[in-house]
This record gives sequence, C-alpha cells and structure tokens, in this order.
Amino acid sequence: MDNVYRSSGFDFSNSIRNHSLAEKGLPLPKATSTGTTIVGCVFKDGIILGADTRATEGPIVADKNCEKIHYITESIRCCGAGTAADTEFVTATISSNMDLHALSTGRKPRVVTAMTMLKRHLYRHQGQVGAALVLGGVDVTGPQLFTIHPHGSTDKLPYVTMGSGSLAAMAIFESSWQPNMTREHALQLVTTAISAGIFNDLGSGSNVDACIITATGTEMLRNFVKPNERVEKERKYTFRRGATAWKSESIRKLIVNEQVTPVAGEAMDVS
Amino acid sequence: MSALEYNGGSVIAMVGKDCVAIASDLRLGTQALGISSNFQRVFPMTDRLYVGLPGLGTDVTTLYERFRYRVNMYTIKEEREINPETFAHMVSSTLYQHRFGPYFIEPVVAGLSKSPTGALKPFIAAMDLIGCINFAKDFVVAGTASSKLYGVAEGLWEPDLEPEDLFETISQTLLNAVDRDAFSGWGAVVHVITKDRVISRTLKARMD
Amino acid sequence: MASADGGAYSYSLTVFSPSGKLVQIEHALAAVSQGTTSLGIKASNGIVIATEKKSSSILIDDSMIEKVAVVCPNIGIVYSGMGPDFRVLIARARKSAQAYWRVYGEYPPTKVLTQEIATVMQEATQSGGVRPFGVSLLVAGYDIHRGPCLYQVDPSGSFWAWKASAIGKNMVNAKTFLEKRYNDDISLEDAIHTALLTLKEGFEGQMTEKTIEIGVVTVPTVEELAAGKEGGETGRPRPTFRKLTEEEVKDYLAL
Repeated sequence: MDNVYRSSGFDFSNSIRNHSLAEKGLPLPKATSTGTTIVGCVFKDGIILGADTRATEGPIVADKNCEKIHYITESIRCCGAGTAADTEFVTATISSNMDLHALSTGRKPRVVTAMTMLKRHLYRHQGQVGAALVLGGVDVTGPQLFTIHPHGSTDKLPYVTMGSGSLAAMAIFESSWQPNMTREHALQLVTTAISAGIFNDLGSGSNVDACIITATGTEMLRNFVKPNERVEKERKYTFRRGATAWKSESIRKLIVNEQVTPVAGEAMDVS
Repeated sequence: MSALEYNGGSVIAMVGKDCVAIASDLRLGTQALGISSNFQRVFPMTDRLYVGLPGLGTDVTTLYERFRYRVNMYTIKEEREINPETFAHMVSSTLYQHRFGPYFIEPVVAGLSKSPTGALKPFIAAMDLIGCINFAKDFVVAGTASSKLYGVAEGLWEPDLEPEDLFETISQTLLNAVDRDAFSGWGAVVHVITKDRVISRTLKARMD
Repeated sequence: MASADGGAYSYSLTVFSPSGKLVQIEHALAAVSQGTTSLGIKASNGIVIATEKKSSSILIDDSMIEKVAVVCPNIGIVYSGMGPDFRVLIARARKSAQAYWRVYGEYPPTKVLTQEIATVMQEATQSGGVRPFGVSLLVAGYDIHRGPCLYQVDPSGSFWAWKASAIGKNMVNAKTFLEKRYNDDISLEDAIHTALLTLKEGFEGQMTEKTIEIGVVTVPTVEELAAGKEGGETGRPRPTFRKLTEEEVKDYLAL
C-alpha cells in the first residue's frame, strides 16, 4: 500500500520526465511567490512581527489577503517570504517538530530551537527551499528575534526586515527605531514599515498583519490596517437568468436526510 | 511556453449563497493543435466536493486517479466522507512531496463543508503546482486563461448569488475569458453544488 | 543470513502452541496485570482516564514519572504494564499524530490513532527478533465525527471501544466496581469521582495528588468549535484533552 504517512523527504520520481520536457523546450513553470514585506522588531516587553498580505505569480496578484505570519508555537511565530509553498511547508514542518519537542521535553520550547531547526533544514537543501524568514518569540530567555536566509544563514538583531519590500521597511526602521519602545510606539513603527513596503514595493500590497508576542501572551492582529479596501461596486453585474445557452443538463439529487421506517417485525433490540 | 500550458485548459470556482460552482473548458490540445473537445478536467470526489485539475494532460489523469485512490482509502479507513478542507490539505501535501519534480497541475477545489454545527458552508481553494494553497472567499482561477479569468471574475463576481444566478455569472466569466485565450475553449462544463443537488451543464461555446 | 530486518534465519519469538495459543502474548498480558491499575470512564460530556503513580522507593524523584501522556491536542493515553514499552509507544503515537497533521491539516480521530498504535503492537507479535509490548493502553480522545471515544489496546494488538474499563493489577475488581457504578448519563465530574473511588478500592498506601494522575477529555461546546483555531489559519485547534494539575487532583481528592 502507498504509504500515506511519508514522514519527510521529497519524491523525485517525476524529475527525469520533467528534465526531458525542459530539454524539449517546456521549462519549469513559476510557483507562487510572496514578493513580500516582512519585519520584526524588539520592544520593551517583547516582539512585534509584521507582514503584508499579497501573494504574486509573476506579474499577477494571486492572493490579495494571504496570511504570512505562521504559527510555530503559542509564543513563537514566523513570517515568510520567497516561494510561498516553501514558507508554508517549512514553517508547518518545524512547528510540528516543535510540538513533538515540547511533548518529549515537557517544557516550552525556545526560539533558538526553532531557529536551529529551520536553518538546518534550509542549509540541508542548499537554498533550493526558497524561504526567507523572520522568526520571533518570547521564551524563558526573554524576547528573541532572528532572520533566516534561504541558504541557512541567520542574524540576531533588534529590528529586521525581509522580502522584496525589505529596503522600504528598513528605511523606516533605520530612521525611527529606538531601544525600549512602548507597545503602542513599536506597533506604530511596524505598521509604518509594512505600509512603506505595501505602497513602494510592487511585490507587496493589500493589508497589514501584525503579531505582538510578550511574556504574558500572543496577540495576532490579522488585517490590523486595511489601507487598500475595495470600494463597493456602484452597479450590479448579474446576468438575466437564462442568458447562458447550454446544451445538456444532468442533475444529481443528494440525500439531505433519511427516515427509516420499519416495515415488519419488531424493532431490533439495541439495548 | 511551459509544461503547464502545453495542453491548454482552464478552471474557475466561485462561492455563492449556500452553494459553490466550479467550471472548466473542455479543450485538450498539443500547443496550437486541438486534439479533443471533450476532455474532462473537473471530477467529483464526494457528493459535495469537486476538484478541477488544469495543466499537463497526462498529469490530469495521473493525479485524478491518485486522488480518487486516496479519497477511497480515507473513506474506508475513517468511515466518513472527506471534508473539502481536509481534501485540500491532502492535495497540497501530495504536490509538495513532489516539490523538486512537480506534477504540472494547479488544482482547484470546490465543495460544501460541514461546519461543527452541522450546517453546510461553501469552500473553495486553489493551489500552485507545488501545493501552496490559496483559500479565497470569492473566487479562484487556474489554467492558461487564468490572467483573463482574474480580470473578468473580479468585475462580475458579487456576494450571495443564488445557485441559478451563480451559474450565469460563472458561465459568462469562463466563456468570455476563454474566448480571449487561444489554448482554452472548445466547449465548457459547469457544476453548481447546492445542499440538496448538483447541477451539471455543458455550455454552448465558440468552437474556434 | 544476518540482516537488519531479521533475515531468513531469525524466527519470531511468538509461536503458536499446539493448542492454538500464543503464550508470549499471554505472558505479556501477565506483565500487564502486574502493573499498577489504570482506568477510564466515558461520561456524557467527556472522558476521564486515571492511574496510580507508585514508585518503589521514596528516593525516586517522582516528578519525572509521567503515566498519563498527551499525544496531540485531542488525544491522551494511560497505560498499565511496562513503563519503557509505553514510552516507545507514546513516541510512535505522537509521531503518527503529527504525520497525520502534516498531510490532512488536522489531528487524527481517536479511532484512527488507536488503530495506528494497535498496528505497531500487532507487528511485535509477528515480527522476527522482537517481543510483544508489555502494556495495555487506554486511549481517550475527542473528534467531530465520533465525539468522545475510549479505547483499550492490548499486547496482541486488539482494541475495543469501552464505556468504562480498567487494566492492570486490580482490573477484575475495578471492572466489577465500575459495572455497579456506571450509568450512561453520568457527568464528567461524577465520572472523575467514580474513577477516584474505583482506584481507592485496591490502593496500597495514601492516595494523594502525588500518587494519582488524571487526564480528561472535555467535549467542546458549539461556541468553542465555532471559535476555530488558536493562532490563526496556521495555528492549532483548541485542546480537548488535558492532564489535571496536582492542585486540581488535590481538590478532587478533598471532596
């Protein structure tokens, strides 16, 4: 039987075929990427992570409101930029491993643990897993903030940015970041940094997501600011019923509820 | 041209009021040469769950058989029907398993999922060829006409359409988009999934 | 031929006797019945699993002992029998639950996970170079499809669903006690008390929060189910299984 629970490792069975297709002039198609502005910053009581919500496929906006702040543990989150599937799966894999780690050690896992797991995974794949990450959280050693590059190198800094909008966002941090900021001040700064990405970088857009992690808890602010809401359409564009000509129709009726009526004999003894 | 565009074909799914619709064209070609005008790429997985598999023709067949097998095994082992969300995750993890030697398919999932309260809730999702899921609340598109479908759907879709109105909107969106795509067309099929029935219609379309 | 998988010349240790018995499995069951008593009761709004935690010497640091284990947010397990074997099974169960989560984006239903563990235990009765697991398990969990479920898994790899069951040293008496006490509309609170009373029957020494371990499954309300996951789209479902803290156990013992 096909093993449903293949724990890890990739299947390369299509590689030969795909390679021969590429030689015949059918190159590998582009996967969804998150052009992205993602940031993280340390403040007085913890960490604030921020992200935009646009996913792109080349020049096309594939998703206008995707979620780029991924759950690792209750008090650790990770923003992802790069190949969307890679950021999604690498964070899911490591969050799953962190769950196992927490259960077997009986402790709350640390941010460095997640960082090490992530960098080892990325280094092992030699940059082929295209995930650029901002990892932040609070653990027993206090607030921690890292960036992890697709090849597995890491930085530990008080404020970080990643993705195609990182320059726009870093400009904001470099001019306005201060040590020991208040929560309100830091959240304002993160919002401004993400907004800089949204409005000045084509790979980033739509809304601002933020996540505030402190020793007392984690607050996920999904669509914290929505500066690009679509205005309501002024007209309705519904078609008159019957406008579309069709050739054949088949209707499959589905069972909504069943009623069983015993016809003969006594009801079965089910006691 | 990439392997995704080699055989042509497009799929779209839309959310309506207590219903969803999924539609696709019926063309199979080899680049500019048309081969078939009755190539199905939308398949039922359960009563209220359909999957559309636009992309390389050979992978459409391979993945359909693969998912059919997986859904059947799931149904037997778990003694229950698979939920659209669960199915979407299963499709996504299968695609990501092949991250470095992908199937050239961008699946679209549409169905009604049972909420904890027992009510049926519309669900649609689309994925790229390595399994990144896009959970949308309005519509999802994929295939060679995707860039055109995005534009038309963005203009025509509106919330809370009744099944019959959703049929018109999704049909017109598909027909008008594939008419501007050389690699899609040659007929179209639409499935509207409601709580008590699935309406499938083949559309009258341009055959050029 | 000596190979890692056993090879042609390594025989299974579990061999049928002429009368059709697998004595190794019966010996494994004997190992279970020497273990401390554990029990589980399914209530109308949840499940309780409990066990006594006894160490052979006062010098042992019993804060390290864990007999009721969390597998994933909706499932917990308690055992009677050999501790080391349980540890291995729990590691396997947790990995299996996570593997399921990575594929389906949700945790396995109780029955599927139980089946997975039972398969591991069955393989030990038929493979070369291994012995059967010396544990019986009580698996308690909640899932949307079947609601709260309590399963017992034995060294042979067989498993059944129970309304209430007991395993280990005092299982016969405990089961008789449970049969008298059980009714279908017992509440979780009452079930916890019944569990403690049942354990008390064969308890050697003092029953304290240090010598009792309890895990409970609580059936989520419709509002809790509708509230969705913790931590957004990529987060976790709210746990339905949890272990009671020492303070909570103490409160139940005081009543």
